[in-house]
Amino acid sequence: MDTPAGSKIPADWLAEFEAAARRPLRTRFRYAFIHTYKPVLDDEPFRAFDTTADYRRWCEENLPDWLGYGRV
Amino acid sequence: MAAFEYRQAEEIRDAFARRGVHYLFIGKSGAILLGFPDTTQDADLFVEKSPENGRSIVAALRDLGFTLDDGQAAQIEGGKDFVQLKNGPFDLDLVFAPDGIERFADAWRRRVEIEGFPVCHLDDIIASKEATGRAKDRDSLPRLRSFREYWLQRHGLP
Repeated sequence: MDTPAGSKIPADWLAEFEAAARRPLRTRFRYAFIHTYKPVLDDEPFRAFDTTADYRRWCEENLPDWLGYGRV
Repeated sequence: MAAFEYRQAEEIRDAFARRGVHYLFIGKSGAILLGFPDTTQDADLFVEKSPENGRSIVAALRDLGFTLDDGQAAQIEGGKDFVQLKNGPFDLDLVFAPDGIERFADAWRRRVEIEGFPVCHLDDIIASKEATGRAKDRDSLPRLRSFREYWLQRHGLP
């Protein structure tokens, strides 16, 4: 697909977007969804938080920083 | 727990339709449905917050094989903002009040349908990720914004 002049999409990303667009949704799913164990987060079968802010706070206070759930 | 599969997304779509659940795929799983090539671990659903929808969600989740006791069901029905489920055939996050999106009805009006899956518009997915302020969202935003530009061009939108 041609992109208009002035497009800021990096060429390598554009190539990836176009390749993905050619794949059926079922295939995109297979490439996209992965599963790895996430410490703490995966250790309870059910959690519910009164507010989204409570959930964010809980993530910051309980999850390892490297999981990336903390705010910057 | 294995990775989330297309077949399971279809099961959500079909069970939620049977029970009349009002929901949208959001987050990276929503972006992936729209064609965004990236990886993620589980599905995030933006669900309308109302007692009726809560009851429908609980019924649909039980249909799908989630084991919810009465206390957990009551929390889903009773208006929690965020529910994390790892007690079923796949992991699922129910987001009743995502950051960066004012009302479910607004996001519903802007939704995109992909093979019968209701998905938040990329503008809402991006707004929600911008509002979280999380490290993992900050890292993915530049590529997601580029994908938005690509997606709008591809669909002939300004």
